[in-house]
Amino acid sequence: MSAADVLAILQGAVVTVTLSFVGILVGLPIGLGLALLRWADVPVASRIVAVYVSVLRATPLVTLLLLLFFALPNVGIAIGPVSAAILALVMNTSAFNCEVWRAALMNFPKEQYEAAQSVGMHALLRFRRIVLPQIVRVSLPGLVNEMSLLIKVTPVLAVVGVVDITRAAVRIGAETYEPLPPFLVAIAMYAPIVFALVSLQRFIERRQLAAEAA
Amino acid sequence: MIDDMPVLDVAGISKRFGDLEVLTDISFTVTRGETVCVLGPSGSGKSTLLRCINWLERPDAGQIYLNGDRIGINNGGVVMSDRELSRVRTRIGMVFQHFALWPHLTVLQNLMEAPVQVQKRPAAEVREEAMALLAKVGLSDKSDVFPARLSGGQKQRVGIARALAMKPDVLLFDEPTSALDPELVGEVLLVMRELAREGRTMVIVTHEMGFARDAATRILFLDRGRVVETGPPERFFVNPDTERARQFIQRYAAG
Ligand SMILES: Nc1ncnc2c1ncn2[C@@H]1O[C@H](COP(=O)(O)OP(=O)(O)OP(=O)(O)O)[C@@H](O)[C@H]1O
Ligand SMILES: [Mg+2]
Repeated sequence: MSAADVLAILQGAVVTVTLSFVGILVGLPIGLGLALLRWADVPVASRIVAVYVSVLRATPLVTLLLLLFFALPNVGIAIGPVSAAILALVMNTSAFNCEVWRAALMNFPKEQYEAAQSVGMHALLRFRRIVLPQIVRVSLPGLVNEMSLLIKVTPVLAVVGVVDITRAAVRIGAETYEPLPPFLVAIAMYAPIVFALVSLQRFIERRQLAAEAA
Repeated sequence: MIDDMPVLDVAGISKRFGDLEVLTDISFTVTRGETVCVLGPSGSGKSTLLRCINWLERPDAGQIYLNGDRIGINNGGVVMSDRELSRVRTRIGMVFQHFALWPHLTVLQNLMEAPVQVQKRPAAEVREEAMALLAKVGLSDKSDVFPARLSGGQKQRVGIARALAMKPDVLLFDEPTSALDPELVGEVLLVMRELAREGRTMVIVTHEMGFARDAATRILFLDRGRVVETGPPERFFVNPDTERARQFIQRYAAG
């Protein structure tokens, strides 16, 4: 295994991180938006979201990705591998995040919400100032867990030709006839990514605890 | 005469939950400076009545006026939007049985939140007033503490101060001491007595008969969703008009 090979896997890591990051960044607020539609019980939208979420949670990411990649061009929507990958990740993660957000919303203490109403906070203010800061904290572990899972399923993006960490390792293994080193390098690259996420979560939680102990 | 206008005028309020008629044609007025204590057995509709006044619960019939302004229905005759309701609610303070403080904000922030965010008043001025309110309820030293670190009695005193920070026209209390350990009830009642003495306009749902007897200007006795009896505490507790009130007093005054 040459330095160039390690570099190739590193490039795969950049792809993995970038795609996961975009998927999370877009999927997180969409998940929250979907959860809010259900929480507020918006007439038709709430039903649609419920169906969307259960269908997506039941659909394997690979299947969804293949569907998007091969079926969308059929209905006249041109889509490249990277766009298909991002779209699939966003759809998948938004459905899972929706459930995490929704659980936090459902468990939000009613009296606290009514206290906000009683002092004259309107709906947006109640949400932004009272509900959101608290559900973020409650949801954080679940959301980070979802993000770690998301990063670990990115190898399936290879089916449409995206070269991520794992795909890069497979290629090098095939070229050098020595699969072990590239795979060890690959595993060594996933670890710090997930570790960074978990550290971020710990950091936020600790800062919060420190503030409350004051 | 503007001085004759009641602060709160509840006229013919009814409310049902499905088949259950919880409030039936409730009417009463509260004049400036009055402390009205609402008494009644569990399930008689006391909480629902308070919640209807600030439209946390939407009444099925009747009208509610705050200083002459209709609550819940706007000038066009339609149900108020969330924004309109919010504006009206700034004038009605509410104190909750389980305090309902916001745990992610400090005591001082709990008090300042609505005056700053809703009334858009300058933070420095609001802070000064909030500190004065905390002094009034005996919690000056707790301003930077989070609610989780307070005792129940302290939490409820913060709850009262938070409601006062909005300078409401009327204060509604829903069993403010029911969730407290017995030894902590006194400190909260002390604050409420002080407010009564100052002439704040208040409607208080309570099971504290001693408090109702000597702090209320008037008793409103509810049973099965109806106002069964109303009158000054001297008369209500000593010589009630109705048999049901008599039974209620016997049961509660004993325990
Ligand atoms: N949201 C609701 N949906 C259905 N029924 C309700 C609802 N809120 C209250 N009720 C019912 O209405 C009746 C009156 O309730 P309410 O809480 O107003 O009584 P209360 O006088 O405050 O009783 P307590 O002294 O126990 O607090 C009860 O039978 C209660 O079960
Ligand atoms: Mg009640």
